[in-house]
Amino acid sequence: MADFPELEAKLSGSALTELMCSVLEKGASFRFQAKGFSMSPFIRDKDVITVARVQKEKLQTGDVVALMNPLKKAVIVHRIVGKAGAGILLKGDNCDTPDGIFAPDAIIGLVTKVERNGKKVRSGGRSAKRLIAFISRTGILNTLILPLLRKIKRTFCPPQSLSA
Amino acid sequence: MTQENQTIPAQIHPDKVYITSEDVVARQIEDEFLLVPIASGIGDMEDALYTLNETGRLIWAKLDSQKTVNMIIDELTEEYDAPRQTISNDVCGILNELVRLNMVLPVG
Repeated sequence: MADFPELEAKLSGSALTELMCSVLEKGASFRFQAKGFSMSPFIRDKDVITVARVQKEKLQTGDVVALMNPLKKAVIVHRIVGKAGAGILLKGDNCDTPDGIFAPDAIIGLVTKVERNGKKVRSGGRSAKRLIAFISRTGILNTLILPLLRKIKRTFCPPQSLSA
Repeated sequence: MTQENQTIPAQIHPDKVYITSEDVVARQIEDEFLLVPIASGIGDMEDALYTLNETGRLIWAKLDSQKTVNMIIDELTEEYDAPRQTISNDVCGILNELVRLNMVLPVG
């Protein structure tokens, strides 16, 4: 006979999707750790994000949503950068190209909170999200604006060098 | 059926019925049986994700709001080739932990 329940489990993308959907079906939000850099700097690797159920007709450009990417069999958390007919165009803020157009039913939920190092990250209002979506879609977000901001940061806040 | 002396944690009453909480999402996913407690409207995988081993799954499945702890122990003793004391310790240990985490509740 085995011992007490174990903590933590590593899940595949489809397993994470199933678990997330089960929690959302109960009307609760789902909180988990993000992995990857596709939404950097707005959502960084190891940030903790909270996803809530959303009515599909209320989704708007600029919203950051979670869905199961059927090709990669992984949950992706990316931004709505446009709409094409009944479909939704998704793109990672730090990605060069969009993910593609998805049916609204493919959306699992809406990101309602991002936490970094135990603190809530400000996500900006509706206008800010729409602006980010616009410049992300044009490609200048990660090809021009973010590199420029990083350069400015390095100029005014250079990393401290270690002394021997 | 005679009952052997049992070492039962203080929180678990052998003649009480326990049920699974509605504020828990329990799913068999791939090779794992996962429990995600929902607290304050949030299912928190980051800070509160649990798995049940095979013993835990058997016990979880028997929490049907009808059986007492002793009934569950009796059933498992019949089903498995192990001493009743050993099964009793396992059942009460796991139930104690699940009660502590508010994933299992006493009835009445």
